[in-house]
Amino acid sequence: MRYPSPSGSGRQAYSVFDGINLELRRGERLGVVGRNGVGKSTLLRIMAKIFAPYSGEVVWAPNVTVSLLTLGLGFRPDLTGRENALLACLLQGLSKQDANAALGSIQSFCEIGDFFDAPVRTYSTGMRARLGFATALANRSDVILIDETLGVGDAAFKERAQETLKGHMTEERGIVIVSHAPAQITRLCDRAIWLAEGGVRVDGKPEEVLASYSP
Amino acid sequence: MDTLARFRLRAEARRFGLGYLWWLLEPLLYVGVFYLVFVLFLGNREPGFLFFLAVGKLTFIWFSKTINQAALSLLHSREIMAQTNLPKHLFPMAVIHEGLYRQGAVFVFLLIFIWAAGFTPDGVWLWLIPVMLTQYLLIVGCSLLAAVLVCLQRDFQMLIQLGMVFLLFMSGVFWDINAISNPKLIFWLETLNPLAVLLDAYREVLLRGSAPDISKLLFINLQAVVLLGLMIWLYAKLHFWLAERAITQ
Repeated sequence: MRYPSPSGSGRQAYSVFDGINLELRRGERLGVVGRNGVGKSTLLRIMAKIFAPYSGEVVWAPNVTVSLLTLGLGFRPDLTGRENALLACLLQGLSKQDANAALGSIQSFCEIGDFFDAPVRTYSTGMRARLGFATALANRSDVILIDETLGVGDAAFKERAQETLKGHMTEERGIVIVSHAPAQITRLCDRAIWLAEGGVRVDGKPEEVLASYSP
Repeated sequence: MDTLARFRLRAEARRFGLGYLWWLLEPLLYVGVFYLVFVLFLGNREPGFLFFLAVGKLTFIWFSKTINQAALSLLHSREIMAQTNLPKHLFPMAVIHEGLYRQGAVFVFLLIFIWAAGFTPDGVWLWLIPVMLTQYLLIVGCSLLAAVLVCLQRDFQMLIQLGMVFLLFMSGVFWDINAISNPKLIFWLETLNPLAVLLDAYREVLLRGSAPDISKLLFINLQAVVLLGLMIWLYAKLHFWLAERAITQ
């Protein structure tokens, strides 16, 4: 996967990573650790079929749906929490009926009271994060890819978010989490990889990978 | 797409104190300014010049406003694109749809204004439907193109904005294309700028009460369909590239 150089001199491309060979089995919960800029987010975007790899391919089993969750991105500040949540659900592929049905649980999860019907621009960062997380949970995909999602909000919210996420993990559902918090990965994942320049450096049990990981 | 468009309109209405009232205020103010400048200041005594301007300008802004907004639609949707793999034409199409709703109000205003001025509606007004459809097709094709260009290189946004000002003067908003005496010039103007033909067609129907030139309308439809086909092919081909470009630009 190459990226155009983000700064300065022209558009020369550099390789973020090369030669990754990774297989995700049904129901597997994979944690990804690695230094900033090593390509963790890009890996998720390729897995979510948002980017196409420059070489190689991504193969998903037939009828497997994948989505990438990022918190509160794409919220429109002039729309209310309810409207943003509805829009996000529709963009995630829910039908109008399912999206409307999901609104109830989203509202009760984010615990922001009347603010749910106020424009998102009036929200605090924490409220926005809650809404983002609750909206993301409405997703029904078989595989969910999570980019640094849990590092937001206060301690109580973080705790609750992790618990809820655990509740959403079933035998069938695969999850890939990119995180800088080792505790999260040991708690939620059953496998981890350390992504470094050039590809996967270590692949194994979360404890083993984290033990050898030095950022 | 429709929900996206309607929510965008709702968000816009909330940003302004007068909200949806702007849908009617904007065309009203345009006509007011034209009256002030052309009739009162410049003393244009030509009867009907105000209506001539109103028809030209209020149909022209459908095109110019939509293109200007659609040009940014892919870049502005980068956050959604970074999360979900959606068909990319969705974003410019939502903007086009939004423009369609807004223009609906403008057309209602325009028709009432023309009617109140003494131009009685009759069967000829039905010709407005094909003329509007033609303009819509042209808007879709050009919007899709503008969005790709700005996604490719942001600088195109400036060129497109300037291009709209250029078109404002080239499409006969302020002057009558039929007043040009050089037939060669008319030919090239009509071939290269479909808007000039469309504006004249609106005036033909609304102000002169006769049917527009069908062969010219068909030619614009042909141009628009070719452009549209090209865009459909391009959006399929550039599916991943557009996301990458919008997100990393």
